[in-house]
Amino acid sequence: MRDETERLQAALLFCLLADAKVISLPDTSRADFSERNFKYLLVAPAIFVLLLVGVFPLIYLLLVSFQGITMTETATDFIGGENYAALLDDTRMWESLMHTVIFTVIALPIELVLGLAMAQLFLDKLPGRQVFIALLVLPVVVSPIVSGATWSLMFNHRFGPINQIVEFLTGNDSAILWTINPSLVYPAILAAEIWQWTPFMFLLLLAALANVDKSQLEAAAIDGAGWWRTFFRIVLPAIWPVMAIAVLIRGLDLFRLFDIVWALTKGGPGTMTETISIFTYVKGFQQFETSYTAAVALLVVVLLSIVVMLALKRVQLSR
Amino acid sequence: MKDHSVVLRRPGLRKGLLLSIVTASALALSGAAAAQSAAKTAVEAAKKICAGKTITIVWEAGLQSLDPTQFSGPLWEKETGCKVKVVEVPTAEMFTKIMQEFRAGTGAYDALNVIPAWMPDLVQAGALEQLDSYVDKYKFRDELKGIAPTYRDNQMTVNGKIYGFPDDGDVFVFYYRKDIFARADLKKAFKEKYNYELAPPKTWKQFDEIGSFLTEKLKSEGIYGGSMFREPGYGNFMFQERFRTEGGKFFDSNMKATINSAVGVKVLTEWRAENRFMPPGVEKFGFVENLATFLKGQSAMTMSWPPYGRFAAGYLANEKALDWVPKSVIAGKVGYTLPPGGHPELAAGFALSVASTSKQKEAAYLFIQWLNSEEISTKRVKLPYALRDPFRTSHFKDPEYAKLWPDAKDYLKALQAGADTGLLDLSLIQTDKYEEAIRQGVSRLWAGEDPKKILDDMAKQWDEVTKKVGVEKQKAVYDAWAAKSGAYPK
Amino acid sequence: MLTVSQRQALKTGLRVAIAVFITILFLFPIYWLFMISFKTADEIYSFPPKWYPGQIHFDSYIVLFKDGDAETVWNSFVVAGSSTVIAMFLGTICAYSLARYKTGGEHLANWIISQRMIPPIAVVFPIFLLFVWLKLVDTYLGVILLYTAFNLPYVIWMMRGYIMDIPRALEESALIDGCTRWQVIWKVVFPMSRAGLFATAIFTFVFAWNDFIFALVLTRSEVTTYTVQVTHYFGGQSNFWAKISAMSVLGTVPIFIAVAFMQRYLVRGMSLGAVKG
Repeated sequence: MRDETERLQAALLFCLLADAKVISLPDTSRADFSERNFKYLLVAPAIFVLLLVGVFPLIYLLLVSFQGITMTETATDFIGGENYAALLDDTRMWESLMHTVIFTVIALPIELVLGLAMAQLFLDKLPGRQVFIALLVLPVVVSPIVSGATWSLMFNHRFGPINQIVEFLTGNDSAILWTINPSLVYPAILAAEIWQWTPFMFLLLLAALANVDKSQLEAAAIDGAGWWRTFFRIVLPAIWPVMAIAVLIRGLDLFRLFDIVWALTKGGPGTMTETISIFTYVKGFQQFETSYTAAVALLVVVLLSIVVMLALKRVQLSR
Repeated sequence: MKDHSVVLRRPGLRKGLLLSIVTASALALSGAAAAQSAAKTAVEAAKKICAGKTITIVWEAGLQSLDPTQFSGPLWEKETGCKVKVVEVPTAEMFTKIMQEFRAGTGAYDALNVIPAWMPDLVQAGALEQLDSYVDKYKFRDELKGIAPTYRDNQMTVNGKIYGFPDDGDVFVFYYRKDIFARADLKKAFKEKYNYELAPPKTWKQFDEIGSFLTEKLKSEGIYGGSMFREPGYGNFMFQERFRTEGGKFFDSNMKATINSAVGVKVLTEWRAENRFMPPGVEKFGFVENLATFLKGQSAMTMSWPPYGRFAAGYLANEKALDWVPKSVIAGKVGYTLPPGGHPELAAGFALSVASTSKQKEAAYLFIQWLNSEEISTKRVKLPYALRDPFRTSHFKDPEYAKLWPDAKDYLKALQAGADTGLLDLSLIQTDKYEEAIRQGVSRLWAGEDPKKILDDMAKQWDEVTKKVGVEKQKAVYDAWAAKSGAYPK
Repeated sequence: MLTVSQRQALKTGLRVAIAVFITILFLFPIYWLFMISFKTADEIYSFPPKWYPGQIHFDSYIVLFKDGDAETVWNSFVVAGSSTVIAMFLGTICAYSLARYKTGGEHLANWIISQRMIPPIAVVFPIFLLFVWLKLVDTYLGVILLYTAFNLPYVIWMMRGYIMDIPRALEESALIDGCTRWQVIWKVVFPMSRAGLFATAIFTFVFAWNDFIFALVLTRSEVTTYTVQVTHYFGGQSNFWAKISAMSVLGTVPIFIAVAFMQRYLVRGMSLGAVKG
């Protein structure tokens, strides 16, 4: 315990030093003195909060990942890159990364397309639109833990309605075990996840679509442009900044998928649906492999950073 | 006539007499103190040291917490002036929260509820306070002896030192429908087919035969021969029990895992085969799904912790806290016995401990001594919403308890038999990693994988963990555990 | 053939039909959850499953209020609401700076979004240590601070996108008209990005609202939030489904009302044209 506090104080010192580094970036504006102050003033409070809560954990993770702390070992001696070496051999960890990628790559496009379609549907006046939109936000507001548990109950063979409906539609009476059958676990989890987060894309894109310049659309209509052309030529470029960021955010969040999978399968059967967050949870929270999970977390950050940087380079955000 | 006054007038003798009178009274008083109940001792000591202060105790969230928030906490405050703050933590997060607060040295928790299987890890990490000196100071040794031997000898100490007081008699009880087993038509047909009397199964083979027979005969009435909870968390306990009663050993003399032996394969194969006569979807049954099925009369046999027995009997079913329990239609029709194999798992359980980083260790200790004492624990296990099951020899013999419902006497007998023959949860360093392997194996079993493959993977995982902990180190802990009376069936 | 207005009516009718279908699909699990809050234990675990309760009774809700559990919903509101307001304000002005002045260039923006790449589970313990040191464990301030920091990257990046959608010309003309830079933000940027503000605010709130892992570790008993409280009802030997669903209902209804009132900012039909002028 002693070690933790001392380590914390050392790290905070690091923070203050790092702090200085981050702010003094090259000044790219040719504006005058007060404008420069103004723009820094705008970002300062946000950066301060982020630094306060964000930098220390990263430094902690960095330091700890080179130590050998486990449930039983609290010595803070540095053991070099042992954790990282072990990481490379850990098939379970890499598999969980793969599972996470699979979830992300399948759910994200579906949520995007569905959300876009729904946004388009509700864009113009519609009787009862107010009620519809408010209702459609509800899935996101239900705590993921509760929604996972609800879906679990719904998928339950005896006490849930889903199998009832399936039997009604197909006339087939066999026991469908959504959360145990290896071929059904992924669809089950994806169904719950897409259900919960499509409204997110829906709302974000609705706001973006609402801002599309109406005059441009009217001009295109007069010119006789069909719906698809209008969409690709005018709408898409207009909502692109928001859409790209929504995809980015949702993608990053999907990568942290935990609650729904935990509630439905706990990462099972075996470790078949284990995501990287579940892996980190089990190793870090339950088994207290503190140093090892720190290394894993940093690996995830690095991997994600690379992917995002590459993606951002190719995608032009500003017009 | 001797002049006694002469004797008293002699100073030396006077002193001697005074001394002996004082000594005699002291002896008499201390004798009285020793005879004073541990509960009283705790109350009086606590009055002196913690009046007005608050101690924090970590407790399992939900039904369990009603004990300290509704009953024992307020009562303790009334008697001693010491306040109790209950921090409710979901079961799955208890270990995490305790370790994190310990690692950060916050001292936020004073007293703890710990699952005995965690004790080696917690003690190794230094999170639990050693209690021997307090036990002697407050004369609790006598009452500690009154805890049923299985719990007392197996869930209280690590390396011979006391770290927690067993406070919950968790044991698997086998429940069956007396009325179904008494039906003459069924008995006759069964005897004809299998050549032995229809009775609660003594072996798992019998369980399979009886279960499939009953399902065949009673399915039209909506009753299945049996149901069990299958979720991996519970499956872990059931595997540990069944594997050992079928003769399996966890490790060999070189500390290599032997769960993938022929016994292991037999257990997994037969276990899965039983699903065929159970309600469809049984693979997903948890505690409550199984309970609902049994209470609604839809299964003839099941196995679970003691609360099932109380819920089935409809004991204080109208209690607000129990309104999540489906109504029992089988009250009075339930029999209790040992599970097939004759050695039930003492699954989970709870012990009361003191956190090593607490700033009020003495006050925390006195509270848990009081909770665990004969006088108070007897009351606590009879609380209508309690999940604390009888764990003291006196509980099993409590005439008040036996009156709670018509079959309560048999219930207590079954609990005691379970305590006498029970098997301990495996408890090593990093127990959770071993249990995790079992849990994963169970989930793969229900998913349809080959038992031998599953067990081979499990054994491999176990060996990896052992290697990481250190074979010699773990062997020492395992040998100590295996030496306990409840480790393997005699 | 159909007239223009008839075709229009058909289109609208079709849209309504699709809207209803989608809504039913999305609402079904919520309906199931809500119904549970009215069912008895027998009905929840009945086979075949019951689609509606025999009787609507509000016992579960009453119990939640009596036991004080409902208070945790309020805690969640306070914590999520405060952090949303703060994050929206600080984040939007920061986003403006990033969008218009490209402050800090790519590095700053990327550093900000990288905060969201860290698995929360990995940082929860160091943050716990930090809070222990700052004496913020189990306090409102601590949790609000955390959620604000947690959501800032999201707000900043989303609002940067929405702000980039607003034509610069408006702000420049406002400046020429004599507005100070602050006034430009208040009078032009905020109103113009109202839709984006609202959409972002909803989810900023939701992210804080739904958080479990930080709330679990950083609170003990003083600032219990609704997500943590709900997990108390899932036990190894008990499942208080009625409480779980009643709590969820308590948590969702107010948001529903809030969104219903403010959804007009999200959709077309507002006189945005007037501002564009």
